[in-house]
Amino acid sequence: MANTACFIIVGRNDIPIYEAEVGSAAKREDAAQLHQFILHAALDVVQDLAWTTSAMFLKSVDRFNDLVVSVVQVLNVCFFLNLSTHTRLMLLHDSRNEDGIKSFFQEVHELYIKILLNPLYLPGSRITSSHFDTKVRALARKYL
Amino acid sequence: MVEPVNSPLGKMLLEEVSPVVMVLCTPLVEETFLKNGLSFVETLKPFCNFSNIDVPVRTSSDQLYRLKKFTLRLFYASDIRQPNVEVAKQRLEHVITQAGEKDFQDLKSDPPQISDILSNPESEIAPTWFQYYNKELIRTLSFSEHEAFDHPVACLLVVSSKDEEPINKFVDLFNTNRLPSLLNDGAMDPKILKHYLLVHDNQGATTERTSKVLSEMRGTFGNNECNLLCTNSSKEGNVEHQANPWASFKSSASAAGKLGCVLTGDDIVEIKDLMQEFTSRHIIPYMEQKVRELNQQISATRRGLKNQFKNLWWRKGKDDVPDSTKGPMYTFSSTESQIRILGDYAFMLHDYELALSSYRLISTDYKLDKAWKHYAGVQEMMGLAYFISDQSKKEAEYCMENAFSTYMKLGKSGFQNATRCGLWWAEMLKARDQHKEAASVYFRICGEEPLHAAVMLEQASYCFVLTKPAMLHKYGFHLVLSGDHYKNCDQLNHAIRTYRSAISVYKSTTWSHIKDHVYFHIGQWYAIVGMHDVAVRNMLKVLDCGYQSKATQEIFLRDFFDIVKKTGTKHEVVGLQLPIIDISSLQVIYEDHRTYASQASALVEESIWQSLEDDIIPSLNSGKSNWLELQSKLLPKKYRESNVCVAGESVKVDLEFRNPLLISTSVTSVFLICELTANPDDLKLVDKEPSNSSLGPESSTEHNLGTTSGFSSFTLSEVDFTLGGGEKKLVRLTVTPHEEGILKIAGVRWELSGSIVGVHYFQSVPVKAKTAKGRRKNKLTPTDALKFLVIKNLPRLEGSIDHLPGKLYAGDLRHLVLELKNKSESPIKNLKMKISHPRFVSPGNHEEELTTEFPDCLKKGHEQNIVQRETNGTNSVFAFPKDVSLQGDRSLRWPLWLRAAIPGTISLYFTIYYEMENVSSVMKYRTLRMHYNLQVLPSLETSFEITPSPSRLQEFLVRMDIVNRANLDCFQIQQLSTVGCRWGISLLQPVDTILPSKSLLAGQALSFFFMIKDCRKSGTEEEKTMSLPPSLTDVKLVTQDDDEKLFDIVNSPLASFHESERSCQGASDKSSPNTVDFILISRLAKSSNPSAVPYLPEILSHHSCHNSIRSSNPLSWSLDCPQTIYHNFATSLCEIKLNLIIRNTSNGLSSVTIDTVDCLPDTAAPTPSSVNQSGWRYVPSVTEEMKVTSDVMGSRLDKPPSSMESSPPFIWSGLSSTKVQIQPLSTAEIPLQISVFSPGIYNLSSFTLKWEVSEHENASSGTCEGYPYYLTVLQSE
Repeated sequence: MANTACFIIVGRNDIPIYEAEVGSAAKREDAAQLHQFILHAALDVVQDLAWTTSAMFLKSVDRFNDLVVSVVQVLNVCFFLNLSTHTRLMLLHDSRNEDGIKSFFQEVHELYIKILLNPLYLPGSRITSSHFDTKVRALARKYL
Repeated sequence: MVEPVNSPLGKMLLEEVSPVVMVLCTPLVEETFLKNGLSFVETLKPFCNFSNIDVPVRTSSDQLYRLKKFTLRLFYASDIRQPNVEVAKQRLEHVITQAGEKDFQDLKSDPPQISDILSNPESEIAPTWFQYYNKELIRTLSFSEHEAFDHPVACLLVVSSKDEEPINKFVDLFNTNRLPSLLNDGAMDPKILKHYLLVHDNQGATTERTSKVLSEMRGTFGNNECNLLCTNSSKEGNVEHQANPWASFKSSASAAGKLGCVLTGDDIVEIKDLMQEFTSRHIIPYMEQKVRELNQQISATRRGLKNQFKNLWWRKGKDDVPDSTKGPMYTFSSTESQIRILGDYAFMLHDYELALSSYRLISTDYKLDKAWKHYAGVQEMMGLAYFISDQSKKEAEYCMENAFSTYMKLGKSGFQNATRCGLWWAEMLKARDQHKEAASVYFRICGEEPLHAAVMLEQASYCFVLTKPAMLHKYGFHLVLSGDHYKNCDQLNHAIRTYRSAISVYKSTTWSHIKDHVYFHIGQWYAIVGMHDVAVRNMLKVLDCGYQSKATQEIFLRDFFDIVKKTGTKHEVVGLQLPIIDISSLQVIYEDHRTYASQASALVEESIWQSLEDDIIPSLNSGKSNWLELQSKLLPKKYRESNVCVAGESVKVDLEFRNPLLISTSVTSVFLICELTANPDDLKLVDKEPSNSSLGPESSTEHNLGTTSGFSSFTLSEVDFTLGGGEKKLVRLTVTPHEEGILKIAGVRWELSGSIVGVHYFQSVPVKAKTAKGRRKNKLTPTDALKFLVIKNLPRLEGSIDHLPGKLYAGDLRHLVLELKNKSESPIKNLKMKISHPRFVSPGNHEEELTTEFPDCLKKGHEQNIVQRETNGTNSVFAFPKDVSLQGDRSLRWPLWLRAAIPGTISLYFTIYYEMENVSSVMKYRTLRMHYNLQVLPSLETSFEITPSPSRLQEFLVRMDIVNRANLDCFQIQQLSTVGCRWGISLLQPVDTILPSKSLLAGQALSFFFMIKDCRKSGTEEEKTMSLPPSLTDVKLVTQDDDEKLFDIVNSPLASFHESERSCQGASDKSSPNTVDFILISRLAKSSNPSAVPYLPEILSHHSCHNSIRSSNPLSWSLDCPQTIYHNFATSLCEIKLNLIIRNTSNGLSSVTIDTVDCLPDTAAPTPSSVNQSGWRYVPSVTEEMKVTSDVMGSRLDKPPSSMESSPPFIWSGLSSTKVQIQPLSTAEIPLQISVFSPGIYNLSSFTLKWEVSEHENASSGTCEGYPYYLTVLQSE
């Protein structure tokens, strides 16, 4: 099944720190910017929702036509650096497989925490690890 | 929150859901009113809105209430029909286009700040034309059959007094044939209130006829139903109205002045009165009455439990009849329509309770009938009624939602209604501050038509701004979507407007794709509408798009250059992102008193040069008294800290350009932006004219402006280059000032693909001024580093070393020439040179060229260089002769000797100090710095081992181990020499026997043996320095021909190199006198690979210094006695006299004690036995030296070894202990005697020598055992 999915990790001040087109559908020319636009717009909704729920997994928060945005809210505190990062893992997808998405988020979250634990990674900076990238793509193939 | 009635929706409803008056008039009436530039309806329109009509109304209930606000809508009968969809569409498009043209002028300005948008009052956020558009959109749906509020309530019949037979005209007008079809086919009630109006044109008709007609009318139609309107009272037709009531209705502003020009104030008052009367006296009472009538009728038939059941049953029965979808299902006379009319009338009369109850009643009916359109319409009205009566919000929303979804279910036909419903719904939500929901409603009514969608999306986006807190991301997104739609229907102005607003959201975003998309498209569109400069400004932002695919980058660039070309001018862009300038790479290279021979030398760290120059530049203390203080006196403090450069000499700036794209771009005419101002102090002193004279090749920038009579005060270099995809290039730019003053390097300027000019200013950047002096460095601010004090032209020495090989073998000796040149006319003097590695390079003594070819000049017989140069190893400053002075184009060629001392990569630094003659400048001296790198390959490696000869006192055996470490090449060893006059050297065996091939192959190792002899004599100093005949110090090893001369090692290059080698290798104790220095001279046999070393080495010299003799003793001795003695033991015991000759080889006085031991040799070995005493059998453990000695002895003496020590004992019969003082380097003979009792072989080693040497302060002492010395005593016959 060809599906569309775009995964983005948004750090503080709404700066994207990781982007990946993980869908298997053939790429449209303007897909990248459309997906960015949708995810970017969804930040507003996430911001609203963040204060109303204590759940980390926000399910689908926004939709545009048949594309759905799911978000995991990461409010983790890096105690060793005494920095709190307000990070959001956002997935734009067109699948109904909520369980898959949830497990995808769980595993990516773990990966993200591993990245955070890296003393050479400055929280809030772009994630450039190729290992992370391959892992995320593998997870996307597995769950989405 | 505003009251529902006063909200925008309330006002809209008041306007839209109001009684319709059908106007029927004759052409003459129209003509009359067209004199004012207005049609009849248009003339009346401003007077149909009553803000306070104050009419008492009583509808169903008995309660009386007063209407305040009221509106009438006037339509020509011909307009009372469902508007053509196409026409309506065109009209909407027109509205949009007009609006677009209106705010076209704003587009040029910069996008608004997001904070500005948020701080705007609510009403100003959305453009005003939206309201107008929405109204037009709703109007396209008027007179639909399923609604009753558009049904005409009354009919106004107008006839002009000029008409023929006005009464007949009135009758004709209401001829059913000419009535709108909706009235005729039963959708609307044709029996409506009729009102007759006679228009009297004061300009053309007589009052008599008018009054006659009027009375006739009144007779025919009744008194109340007839009115007279006198108009056009102004004769001149130039009445100006202060507040023109029609201006807001007629959109075309051009005719505004003419509107109502023949209507006097009295006329207007008359029209107003007429309308007021018409409304309050006729329409409202008529409606009131109708409502009451209908209410009664419906109460009788439908209200109450009984009627409800009846109705239900009746409807059930009707189910069987298939719905005829075509044509109106319900005529005006059907019960359903009646109820609907009741509801609508009640709504119009502001009796919302009644309206709601009747809508509720009818909606169930429609639902049961599956008349969905009607149902939706009723639901819609219910929602509005709920809203305007400020009742349950939930109900209102539910109704609207219901209506909307029902319309949507109808498919395409219902979409327009859905749109109107959506608009109302959104307005309703907006009025309740539910902007987010409103936005989603707008989003839902987008539909497929792009223009419509664009407007709706834009409205949605404004809703997002109005939410609290503002949802700016959504705002931006919807604006972009809307912009795309606008673009699709060629509404470029609107597209640009929306994108412009979106930019304010996305300006600071790091979402790269978004940013690129927005800027690129708005840039394109600006270009299409012809605003090329704005287009370029926007397009610039997408140029740094390295993360995009190559195709995208190409599109970006192509479009960008197209637009730039269209602008026709060369734009100058500050901070152009293509190519990117790496500011951290900025490096300034300039020369003040420090000048550089080459690029490489400029890049060497300053500290290296400083440590090198410490000796030759005037020392700090004296320096302060001459140039530093001088400088501080001459220069104001401000400039003491700035960099100094010399007029006529270029300042170089290295800058790295990086292409972020995958496409190669050409960058042309890159040059620095500079500014040369006259020194302000000079100005004060010399002339008061401020002359800002600076000039660039293209003086288009402000900085490079100011051509003063075509004389350029500095020249700039221009560089062109092409950057491949992702490539980085370091570019060198230079500026050469020609005048004194202050030079400031402000920035860099380049042309991209010949069409756009990029400018980068270096203002607030950290610059590492490469050559800034260490102690000043911290004080320099970045801008100071780019500021130079230009001083007067000075001579500058240029220097180079010819034919310096980059790669050579260790030991390679070369003759090089240092060429110095001074191009300026003023002479320089007092040249000094210092070389970082005196071990490698040694300057020659004379300027003259060598008379003989190298390497023959090094051979003996060329005595011209034999003068011993006194160089002390610590200070390697070489001062050129005083008479050397350079001037003009004369060049000085000075010989240099290069010898690669050790393998490895060597950086050679030369610094030449010179002083300027007769130049009264702040700079008294300058230094020339040269830097070369050498790669030295390993070649021959030698090691020497020297052991004293046991048999002869002053001779030593030398073993030379030699290894060829070169990779490929073979070497011939030519000559081995000892240094100094002390040691004579001779071969032990001919070389040919060891090395028949004459050359040492790569990797080959060999050993040679030599004998050296100490030729020193004890005695006076003169004697000591008395030299040996030189030939004795050299050994020819392998020669090509026999008469080849030997190399003269006391000659200048070899001797001086040896000196430095000695100091470098002199790690071992220098005090030890017993050291020998060797010089091995070899040559390359033949190079197997000629390219390996570019210049073939002619001669290689290998210096080995401080080879000490492998003996710790300062003494050497030998026993002097015959080896075989015949004695007749029958007569007596044999007494043998021995002579022990001891030589003191040390430089100190030594005292020696000789002890003879009379016991068996087993016990006579005291030192080792003390170690090995615990029951071990004595094994003669000897030290290494002793072993070597004994080996040599064994081989030389050819005697039975010490194993046959079963000889009978002997006794020392002379002195048992003797002490002698031996002068340095002298010998002493001590007579000894032994007594032998029987013939045999005796080992005379049982004596010890205890010595004490006192040389200067340090004294040393030790003990030596005697060597085995075998004496054979035989019985004489």
